[in-house]
Amino acid sequence: MPRTEELGGIPRKQLNIFYVLDTSGSMDGVPIATLNRTMSETISSVKQLVEKTADALVKISVLLFNSSCQWVQPKGAERLEDFIWEDVKAGGMTEMGLALKELNSKMSRKGFIESDIGSYLPVIIIMTDGRPTDEPDEALEEIKKNKWFTKAVKIGFALGPCADVNLLEKIVQDSEAVIKTDSLETFARLFKKATVNSIVMQGQSRTTADVVTGKGIVNEIMGGDGDDPYGFSDDDDLFGLGDDSDVFEFGDDSEYGYD
Amino acid sequence: MEGKFKKGKQIQTINGKTVVVEEWLAEGGQGDIYRILYGGEEKALKWYKLGKMGKTPKAFYENLKNNVLKGAPSDAFLWPLDITSWEENSFGYIMDLRPEEYHEMTEFMLAKVRFKSYRIAVDAALNIVNAYRILHNQGYSYQDLNDGNFFINPENGKVLICDNDNVAPDNVETGMLGKPRYMAPEIVKGKGKIKPNYYSDLFSMSVIIFILFCLNHPLEGKRFLVPALTPARQEVLYGTKPLFIMDEDDKSNGPDPVIHRNSILVWECLPGYMKDIFLKAFSQTAMEKPGTRPREKDWLDVLVRFRNDIVRCRCGNDVFVSEEGPCTCEKCGKKLHIPYRVQFDSYSIPAFPGNRIYRVQLGICDEAKVLACIAGMGVSKKDPSILRLVNLSSKSWNVTNREGKLVKIRPQEAIRIKDGINLEISTEIGTETVKIIRNDAAK
Ligand SMILES: Nc1ncnc2c1ncn2[C@@H]1O[C@H](COP(=O)(O)OP(=O)(O)OP(=O)(O)O)[C@@H](O)[C@H]1O
Ligand SMILES: [Zn+2]
Repeated sequence: MPRTEELGGIPRKQLNIFYVLDTSGSMDGVPIATLNRTMSETISSVKQLVEKTADALVKISVLLFNSSCQWVQPKGAERLEDFIWEDVKAGGMTEMGLALKELNSKMSRKGFIESDIGSYLPVIIIMTDGRPTDEPDEALEEIKKNKWFTKAVKIGFALGPCADVNLLEKIVQDSEAVIKTDSLETFARLFKKATVNSIVMQGQSRTTADVVTGKGIVNEIMGGDGDDPYGFSDDDDLFGLGDDSDVFEFGDDSEYGYD
Repeated sequence: MEGKFKKGKQIQTINGKTVVVEEWLAEGGQGDIYRILYGGEEKALKWYKLGKMGKTPKAFYENLKNNVLKGAPSDAFLWPLDITSWEENSFGYIMDLRPEEYHEMTEFMLAKVRFKSYRIAVDAALNIVNAYRILHNQGYSYQDLNDGNFFINPENGKVLICDNDNVAPDNVETGMLGKPRYMAPEIVKGKGKIKPNYYSDLFSMSVIIFILFCLNHPLEGKRFLVPALTPARQEVLYGTKPLFIMDEDDKSNGPDPVIHRNSILVWECLPGYMKDIFLKAFSQTAMEKPGTRPREKDWLDVLVRFRNDIVRCRCGNDVFVSEEGPCTCEKCGKKLHIPYRVQFDSYSIPAFPGNRIYRVQLGICDEAKVLACIAGMGVSKKDPSILRLVNLSSKSWNVTNREGKLVKIRPQEAIRIKDGINLEISTEIGTETVKIIRNDAAK
């Protein structure tokens, strides 16, 4: 028999969590400090959760945007276990279109969703406190052609009275998947919950056959009606054969004998 | 992180006792776990999150309360001992704390904790099957059997089953469907219309056993490796078209040489009877017809045999020794010294230090006694070359040697293992004959 030490861990699908965070000038002061504390607390508490789950390999990617945008880990998504949040500063404009364009460019298997084993549908948590200073429509139309993006579990955070809720709703493709709050304290609490829930949701025992959605998670963390955070799956042949080869640059999935 | 209760918080239980919160321990999907004082004793409290008490919290509470009254099926369960009254639309239940030596099954799956030996992994599987058999035979089903339910001791394979809150009389609905990847195909396909029961438990249990041994999910072969495992794809993989990674007829979900290296390594070494039961448990027939799935007793029979067929070489390697095959260690090339075998009705096991005869190997028995050790094998303290069989039962055996001489071996007494010995072992219901035979003559 092989020795027990010769065996590695069980193969796990990747669960990619993308954070798209507004660090524009209007976030300066207490808001950015809150964001920094929230991110570091969120990460450390989900680390505990993830250490004991064999359901998925959770990876984190963080995109910060202001007058430009940059990934916290430019080389690609980082394993949650290894991820350490370093405080960021606020300043500059709110170039949301640029951020969407950058997100789109990395939401692929050649980008940050790279994996031999494959992935679950990613999670995108996007936060802004203002209105875009660029014209994001074109970038939004473009990213909507990316199936990883459209099928992702998306949650929006509209922080403060100036946040462009309408735009966020368009981005997460569901008006009920956007959390609006003027309170930094509420933001901190719900942001953490949203992360925790999107991770545990994937592998949690459930009472319905429905599929995890951003709206479901938002309902749940807002206290909702106590319903499970699932919506209905549209059950189409997502990522079907051939038609998305431009998105999945590595060709289609027929090599795996799927029909 | 911390829970909603601070140290010193007091809660009343239905048995009129008081829970005093000591410390928050962990958060699960359904609730928080606290270390508490309960009548002066340290215990664990699981406190539910809102919206996590099944579809109808009142019914969920009543079911749990009935489980408290019913009592634990066996000591392998971290059973609810008492339940609190409602407080702020939620409640909790009290159970024993998990001892430190026990680790979550998921830690084994992530290879953060490893069994001391392969044989201990088999012991863990035996303990799991045995515990579920007892629960099932009392008319209950578990309904949410998954990798989050087990605490296992890597040193001895002892198991504690937690999360007993969905246990209910078989075919009674708790609103729970189960955990993705562990649900039986009919539950996945049923999309909420078909509820878990004894047969779906059997399926989930066989998934757990396969994972314990092979560190791969039995349905996650090549087909699992699609770039995006969408909900629609999951439904196919686990529901409408499940296919065993080791299926002999259809290899389209077979193992990938790199990603599924674990299961390739282990599968090669498994004895035929273990392969057979896995092939049966994950056959197309068993996926479609729940009634054809191997029962706990079928698992116990092969696992007990498997446990005894794994012997440890001096080099530290665990070697599977089959009845026919040569007994050489594949790691160091040395021959294992196994002069004798113990012959039961239909198979034999090697006579080797550490091997055991379990009650289940001696004919029909009460499920609580299945894993009772009737005999153990060990070397003599005075002369380590002498292998002895010790009577660990409470009844005397009649033993005849090759010359036909009859001796009585009383409890705790031992005989030297030699060719031609006939053991008449008494059980509560009769007598079973077991023979010692020369190894080359086995079967
Ligand atoms: N009796 C116990 N003693 C000590 N720790 C425990 C005990 N029961 C559970 N825990 C710890 O609490 C964590 C959560 O427990 P459990 O899995 O039962 O919660 P849950 O809410 O049902 O989670 P999930 O639904 O995700 O399985 C476990 O990972 C474990 O580490
Ligand atoms: Zn050896």
